[in-house]
Amino acid sequence: MEIKTVAVIGAGVMGGGIAAQIANAGVKVLLLDIVPKNTDNRSVVAQSAIQKLLKVKPAALMHKRNAKLITAGNLEDNLNDLAHVDWIIEVIIENLDLKQALYKKIDAVRKTSCIVSSNTSTLPLADLAVGLSKSFRHHFLITHFFNPPRYMRLLEIVEGPDTKPGITDTLCHFCDHQLGKGIVKCNDTPGFIANRIGAYWMQTAMLECMRLDLSVDEADAICGRPMGFPKTGVFGLMDLIGLDLMPHILDSMMHSLPKSDAFHEQAHIPDVVNSMISEGYTGRKGKGGFYRLNKSAGKKTKESVDLKTGKYARSETAALDSLKPSIANELKKLVSFDDKGGEFAWSVLSKTLTYSAGLIPEIGDNIEAIDRAMKLGYNWKHGPFELIDKIGVDWFIDKLESKQQPIPAILAAAKNKTFYRFEAGQRQCLNLTGEYRTLKREEGIVLLEDIKRQQQPVKKNASASLWDIGDSVLCLEFHSKMNSIDPDILAMIDTAVAIIPNKYKALVLYNEADNYSVGANIGLALFAANVAAWAQIEAMVKSGQDTYKALKHAPFPVIGAPAGMALGGGCESLLHCDAIQAHAESYIGLVEVGVGLIPAWGGSKEVLTRCMLDPKRAKGPMPAISKAFEIISTATVSTSAAEAKSHLFMAKSDGITMNRERLLFDAKNKALSMLPDYSPIEVEEISLPGATARTALNLAVASFVQAGKVTEYDGVIADQLALVLSGDETDIADLHSEDDLLTLERKAFMALIKQDKTLNRVQHMLETGKPLRN
Amino acid sequence: MLIFKPPIEDTKYLIDEFLDTSELSNIGVFKNMTPDLTDAIFEEAGKISESLLFPLNRSGDEHGCTLDSGNVTTADGFKEAYQEITQAGWGNLTCHEQYGGQGLPHYIANAVDEMMVSGNMSFSIYFGLTIGAYNVIERFASDDIKEQYLPNMVSGKWSGTMCLTEPHCGTDLGLIRSKASPQDDGSYNINGSKIFISAGEHDLTENILHLVLARTPDAPKGIKGISLFLVPKINVSKNGELGKHNNVTCSGIEHKMGIKASSTCAMEFDNSNGVLVGELNKGMKAMFIMMNSARIHVGIQGLAVAHTSYCAAVDYAKQRLQGRALTGAKNPGKPADSLIVHPDVRRMLMTMKAYTEGARALSTWLSFKLDVSHHSPDLIKKQQADQLVSLLTPVFKSFLTDMGETVTSLGMQIYGGHGYIRENGMEQYLRDVRICQIYEGTNGIQALDLVGRKLPAHMGKSLRYFFHPLSTFLEQHADDEQLSVYINPLSKSFFRLQSATLFIAQRSLSNPDEAGAAASDYLKLFGFVAMGYMWAQMAEKSIYHKANMSDEFYDAKLKTGLFYMQRLLPQTGSLLSSIMSGCGNTMSLAETQF
Repeated sequence: MEIKTVAVIGAGVMGGGIAAQIANAGVKVLLLDIVPKNTDNRSVVAQSAIQKLLKVKPAALMHKRNAKLITAGNLEDNLNDLAHVDWIIEVIIENLDLKQALYKKIDAVRKTSCIVSSNTSTLPLADLAVGLSKSFRHHFLITHFFNPPRYMRLLEIVEGPDTKPGITDTLCHFCDHQLGKGIVKCNDTPGFIANRIGAYWMQTAMLECMRLDLSVDEADAICGRPMGFPKTGVFGLMDLIGLDLMPHILDSMMHSLPKSDAFHEQAHIPDVVNSMISEGYTGRKGKGGFYRLNKSAGKKTKESVDLKTGKYARSETAALDSLKPSIANELKKLVSFDDKGGEFAWSVLSKTLTYSAGLIPEIGDNIEAIDRAMKLGYNWKHGPFELIDKIGVDWFIDKLESKQQPIPAILAAAKNKTFYRFEAGQRQCLNLTGEYRTLKREEGIVLLEDIKRQQQPVKKNASASLWDIGDSVLCLEFHSKMNSIDPDILAMIDTAVAIIPNKYKALVLYNEADNYSVGANIGLALFAANVAAWAQIEAMVKSGQDTYKALKHAPFPVIGAPAGMALGGGCESLLHCDAIQAHAESYIGLVEVGVGLIPAWGGSKEVLTRCMLDPKRAKGPMPAISKAFEIISTATVSTSAAEAKSHLFMAKSDGITMNRERLLFDAKNKALSMLPDYSPIEVEEISLPGATARTALNLAVASFVQAGKVTEYDGVIADQLALVLSGDETDIADLHSEDDLLTLERKAFMALIKQDKTLNRVQHMLETGKPLRN
Repeated sequence: MLIFKPPIEDTKYLIDEFLDTSELSNIGVFKNMTPDLTDAIFEEAGKISESLLFPLNRSGDEHGCTLDSGNVTTADGFKEAYQEITQAGWGNLTCHEQYGGQGLPHYIANAVDEMMVSGNMSFSIYFGLTIGAYNVIERFASDDIKEQYLPNMVSGKWSGTMCLTEPHCGTDLGLIRSKASPQDDGSYNINGSKIFISAGEHDLTENILHLVLARTPDAPKGIKGISLFLVPKINVSKNGELGKHNNVTCSGIEHKMGIKASSTCAMEFDNSNGVLVGELNKGMKAMFIMMNSARIHVGIQGLAVAHTSYCAAVDYAKQRLQGRALTGAKNPGKPADSLIVHPDVRRMLMTMKAYTEGARALSTWLSFKLDVSHHSPDLIKKQQADQLVSLLTPVFKSFLTDMGETVTSLGMQIYGGHGYIRENGMEQYLRDVRICQIYEGTNGIQALDLVGRKLPAHMGKSLRYFFHPLSTFLEQHADDEQLSVYINPLSKSFFRLQSATLFIAQRSLSNPDEAGAAASDYLKLFGFVAMGYMWAQMAEKSIYHKANMSDEFYDAKLKTGLFYMQRLLPQTGSLLSSIMSGCGNTMSLAETQF
């Protein structure tokens, strides 16, 4: 069975978000909610939910047009429409009676093959399924999404004793391939996996912070990046989730967990937090939380709450000795360090890890699934068992013993071992029986991470490597700082172009960092520019142009496979590929104007040529030039791969992969599919109008400058871009080759990099990560 | 008898023709700086320097200062000269008019400063310290303190000092031990010993105001716990009347290699009453401001003494008859030709002249940038000038003081044995100028400041305001055939400086010793290029923008400039090679192998 249409019932934040992600997959969704009292518009709840989806930040929809795939309705008039859908997700209020009443209504209309799932986070499936038809129970499970559904990759799935295996498989396949989720199957236990451990961890951190008298800044500085937890820390995370949500979660856990569960020891909400909640300090959505931005006196000041008094004071950078890099960078040193930071780290970590280990086999017997749930659902860098391996099983046991803390069975069973190991390049994890089990990737998942363990690189330098990913396809991996493009990366591309024709067949540009590439390494260029080493800088520009041009004309298919940010020089590498296979969450753009420059590694040329050759464009060169001008001069960054197609960074025929783990496999297949009859891209010469077009573009910019929407210097940058896009001193009758356009890019780039204001922009970006408007 | 002529002609040329002051010429006091006025200032300053200060230079060196039960007596004639000069206002050229100063720009005052120092370096130190103390008080102290002390400093009635160094710490001021205990009235009692205090005690003024670095009882450790206090030798009432002695005593004066007429004192503060200047624990910030202007002043000392030595060397080379010219007798009527016919003597004289005039141009140019950094109405230009001055200050201080040593040593060399003996006075210049490479931050520390602090800050931002204008200048004149003998060598050296900069920036990321080992050579390379920039501009102006100087003057500029480009600037090549060799050769011996 295939899932072709879906219904989401309950148009709250989660329901709306889930509906949006299904629409992002290109699947039609029916979004239903109740008919409110006293209104003529009976579907207003779902309709306004769709309106909210169009505005919410971060965006729930990958493309605005995806909203059209969502149909709003209500549970009275549209109940019968449920008869046509393949999957119904219930996302209504956490109330057993209401849910069961709804299921009965659904059961009356659904087609027999229709899958029904609940997004409950607190109610057991066993309770939900009571009294429902056998067929319903065969098709019923829990699908627990995390907020926001587009961005959080974890999906917990709970099957009941009656759920048919085929049903689960169908649903898992859909959620994995089309919704891009990482699926973790859970037992029907309270909080499932991620929230059970996550809530315990957050509560423990909060209570230990108060017991040991740390400030929230200190606690978050420790219980954040140094321990591999999200850098917001625990208090920052609770501000995001909402302080008022914690009592509900705790109530439901306390209600359903046996008194013997250690959770009860950490479930207390301090008075100071209760009074914050009652006064409306519920976090980012309220008046502030553990942190707030005080905007009085015309300045934004970050403040943190004093957990003793409940009063806010300016946030202070935590200055504990345990936070010195030599300590904080090594987990074992951190948790053994003799100050309150070290004590806090040990206390939170040891409690959280022993609690997690103690939950086996109750919440599951697969430690890898538990680690995965925490990584995908709470953005931990390492799961609990990976963390134990990091500090050492035996060391951990010894230290627990010396502190007279209890040792969970699974931990004792792991004595003298590790939870994970590598055997002949294969990753294995420990079973409950004390044996190792090889972890196999699902079909269609190829990770560079695995390949790198199994072979030596074909070539490698400080910033890039070439890997043989089978079937005569090479993968070029960037691994410079933030994957910024530097001379080493360019050299590796040159190497690939040189060796592939003899020994291999195709190339994929791909890596597994958070971001494909944040752009060219402008730090190098800035220093050179400050000492006026113009010849050297121009050579750097030329070398990037030559390398990308060679990539474009290489006699074999080149596939760009980005995920995350692909900006500036990173974007330009993609623009010179034959095709792109992008992760859905790819943020692509030419952002050079933000640092006072224009794209000059062929980026301006490629965008202009694409606009000129776009079959949809209006007649005459001007509309195409204007479009290219707009894309580059506003530093447009696509907020998804789908949007990148609208911006012409990607072609219509380029592919999009929803599941991050499937990207390399898809990209490689795309390359292989292009091999038969491959011929390199033909270069078309274009004719450009010259000075008149430059004047027209400048006029448009001048009005923005006058209106104060952009700075005068933005106008100077835009003029240099206009110079390139108009063809400079030319006549409409002349044809411009690729090299002509590259020469113009260099000319404009060199004119701009000599300007003080450009260099100030570059410096500001490097030092603060933010653009300077000067 | 040594000959000394203040550099009036060259100074007039630099101020009237070389320097482009258009950036500020419409602003306040700068409007009045017409050649009529400034030329008159230089003529007068020259007279003072030549006829009042220079005659006391040798005698001051011979007699030095004497200490008798805590009182220091300066050399004969100093007291009278001090009176005459302060009454004429030569000590307060840059001080604010509201305190009785003249409010003149730095580019004028520093030219006068050079003349005063070249007349008598030891004597000028008494003024220099007062101006340094004035600058700190004016910038950081409360209005009450300023009203109470500044007018008498400006008039020359009281003098000032800087008390930083202690017996156990000089370069590393974080180790300071002097204590400041807060009193009920808001003042502090200062206790401690300071050494190497120039003008710490003397008989030239009725009171001496010491700026003392000390630590309050609960101050943080190290450099962040140091505060600055004003401690007068004699207490001063609110309305400026002198009261009781403040238990500030001079326990000894140093016996030094040079600047013997300048009293270098060991000072004891024994429950001496002082007031806080600036913020608590922010004393080093104030010190840095003071030190920056002091470093420029020290650079000028290097230049000034070099000039004095050059004057005498030229005279001697013309008068002294020894040997015959290699190309045949030039003066057949006399028993021998004068020294100046000999190429090796010429080499020395040309070296002295090219360095000295190049340094004077650099001093004029940088002093004006200092004015721009204080007075430009354009905020951006003001900041850029500030960055430039801050970048070049260590270069200026070190390069000009190293140059001072080289030139005075050559001056002595030209005199031969007559230079080495005391009788002729040439050795005094070398002894006097030698301190300049050491005090106000040794030249090694200057080099570290340049490569460790100035160069990497904001990824080389402050470099931009030196490198960009120079790059533009070279581009503008790249095709000028007449100028090519100046432009080409400078371009070559500029490229060497760029390469060295990028090399150090990159290497020192992985090993800070790379920057440390390259620092002094890099500073020297930088100095050569900066001076080359000055010479190229002088050449350009001497070819295309001749004005009021004689043809002979412009011709000499062109020829001296050419000597610089062809004979001195090429040292950049060997400096670059040294830098590029990396730090391994310098650092590889174990300590036991020394």
